[in-house]
Parts: sequence; structure tokens; C-alpha cells
Amino acid sequence: MKTEEQLQETLDFIGEYAGTLLGSGVHTSRVVRNTKRIGRSQNITVHITTFQRTAILTVSDPDTHRTLTEVIDIPQRPISFELNSNLSALSWRAADRHMPLSDIREEYSRLVAKPKINPLFVLLMASLANASFCRLFGGDLCAVCIVFSATLVGFSLKQELQKKGLNHYIVFILSAFMASLCASSALIFNADADIAIATSVLFLIPGVPLINGVIDIVEGHILLGLSRIINALLLVICIAIGLSVTLLLVKNSLL
Amino acid sequence: MNVVYDLITDGLFAAIAGMGFGAISDPPLKAFPSIGILAALGHALRYALMNYAGIDIASASFCAALLIGFVSLLLGERLRCPMTVLYIPALLPMIPGMYAYRAVFSLIMFMQNIDSPALSGEYMAALQLNATVTVTVIFSLAVGATLPIFLFKERAYSMTREKPRNRK
Repeated sequence: MKTEEQLQETLDFIGEYAGTLLGSGVHTSRVVRNTKRIGRSQNITVHITTFQRTAILTVSDPDTHRTLTEVIDIPQRPISFELNSNLSALSWRAADRHMPLSDIREEYSRLVAKPKINPLFVLLMASLANASFCRLFGGDLCAVCIVFSATLVGFSLKQELQKKGLNHYIVFILSAFMASLCASSALIFNADADIAIATSVLFLIPGVPLINGVIDIVEGHILLGLSRIINALLLVICIAIGLSVTLLLVKNSLL
Repeated sequence: MNVVYDLITDGLFAAIAGMGFGAISDPPLKAFPSIGILAALGHALRYALMNYAGIDIASASFCAALLIGFVSLLLGERLRCPMTVLYIPALLPMIPGMYAYRAVFSLIMFMQNIDSPALSGEYMAALQLNATVTVTVIFSLAVGATLPIFLFKERAYSMTREKPRNRK
């Protein structure tokens, strides 16, 4: 049995928890399961409707049949697999150990505040990844080196522009243009230019929303799945636009 | 001997690519080795199927994604980490980047040659071919890796739960 305040407090926390998960790239059915599990640990039932930018939550106390509903805004957060993993584990711990709400909230704040991987390390890893990608497509050593440096430039541009809070479609177009332009220097060095240009922009591919979208659709969350796929496709189009500008500049040398 | 060398280098580069693309999405540090293993296994399998068994790229990608899905089920249980955290980065090295690039290139060349029926027809055909391959392969990848979740719902859904002996 819960008082009105306790129920409201639980709803507030569950709303924040669900918003964080939805905002950091977790597919819908996992968010729904985790949220219901947290609710179960507090002996209340949770129902959730999700959209791309907002979600609707209803909690009810089975003893008193009192019900509260809230609409939450989903914050735009960077994708984080670590949060996905840790917050899912938190929901199981809460359910298995019957943790009180204050403990769950404390642990939640600790997990959310955890620092991200160093951006320089990410930059280096992404560049290495793109360079090996070039090798997988059959690029020669020179092309691999060019793709490595092109990704360094493109990805650091993306990091800087995102820090400034520029619209992310524009960030994608500019980064794709910059990376492919650097990669087109392969034409001067007589390396495999088409492979170098093609791989230089692949670090931008929005793999997570693309695959989450497919998962959502096959699990029956068709509306949100389509929104995710449309979102991802828009970013892919932005990559294509950035790439096209480079191609228009150098197309005659590529034929 | 050459076959083994090819497979190992293919797997190695795929592992670097998988871990690197994974790093962009902020994975838990403990997940990196598993992402590398998954990416290497999947890409090497696809390479073998395409080059030695003559299977087309979409079916080969599907088989590779299926393998990645099943192994991520085992690794995810061991690491207490959701399957998607492990398999999404591992799938990325199999994105058909060259086809996607050729699709964009063909589109541009088509627009430059709309006055010449012969050339524009040629580029339109290339656009259709490359775009179709790209979309089919990405779809096969996503569905292939997700299938194990449906086959082993219970296990896949309780991946981050503590093992019973550790629970209080």
C-alpha cells in the first residue's frame, strides 16, 4: 500500500529511468521490460506507451487501485551501451533484492554520472576501425593510411561540432564531406581512390538506430521501429550528400 | 595454408573494425574482447562462404549474423551484458560500404548524364543493383542476429540478471 506521494515519487523515478533508456539507444521491448521490473520491485504495475520524442507512463497500486499517469519528454542523449547494460542490471537487482526506492535512485544517479570513454581514445579507435575497414574492402597500404588520417579529421570535426551543439544533420553532412575530401587525396598518391573515399565516411553509419529499428519492428513496436529507421535513413542521406559534394568535385578523375 | 592466412587476416581486421566502431557507442570496457571475437568470427565466416562456397553476399551475411547472434547469447550470459551491446558493433564491419558508395556514385553520374539515354540507363541500372544489394545485406544482418533472441527468449531477456548463487 502506498500513499499518493509515494506513488507519485515512484512514477517520477520510473519516468526518468525510462526516458534515460529510450534516449540512449535501447530498443523498446527492453525499456518496457526493465521499467515494469522496477515497478514490480516497488509492488506497483507499470504500463508504458513509447514514441520517438515522448512516452506516456501509467502506474497503479494493485492494493488501492489508485492510478497515476504522466507524459515524459525523452532527452536526447548520446548512445551508450554501458548505460544500457548497467541500468538493465540495476532493474534485475532491484527486483531480486527488493531494494527500496531511495537505494535504486542513488545507484541510478551513480550509474548515469559515470564518465564516458575518453573522446581521444574513441577518436583513435574509430580511425583504426575505418582503416581496417578499408583493408577488408581490398584497399592497399597507402589507401589504408589515407583512410586513417581522413577519419581522424572527419571524426574530430564531428566531435567538435557536436560539442558546439550544431544541428546533427549538418554535422553529418560536414563530417562526411570533410572525411571524403581528405580521402580523395588518394588520387594524388595513386592509391585505390574509390575504396578510400567509400570507406572514409563509414564511421558515420548510424548502425545502432538502424538495427534497433529492425528489432522493434519484428517485436511488434512497429511505429517506434519505423521512426528509428526513418531517423537513421535521414542520417544516411546526410552522409550521401556530404559524399556527393566530394564526388562532384573529383568525379572526372574517378571514371 | 593460404586459406588459413586469408581467414585469419580477414578476422583480425574485422575485429579491429568492430571494436573501433563499438567504441563510438560507449560500450562497457569488459565488452571489447567479446565484440572483437564476434566481429572476427562473423566476418571470417562470411568471407569463407563467399569465396570458397560461392554463396551470395546476402545469404552469407545472414549466416554470419546468425552465428554472431548465437555466440553473443553465450558471451552475453558470461559478461552479464545485453546481447545487442555485443552484436551491434560486431555486425558493423559487414555493412556493404562499397555497394553503398557505388549506389551514391551511380546516382550522381545518372544526374550528370540525363541527356544521354545510353549512359543514363547504364548508371540507373548500376544504381538499382548497388542499392538493392546494400538494403538486402543490411536487412539480412539485422534479422539474422536478432533471430536467436526470439529462439531463446527467456535466456536473452534475463542476460543482465545476477546468477542465483550471487543473489542475496
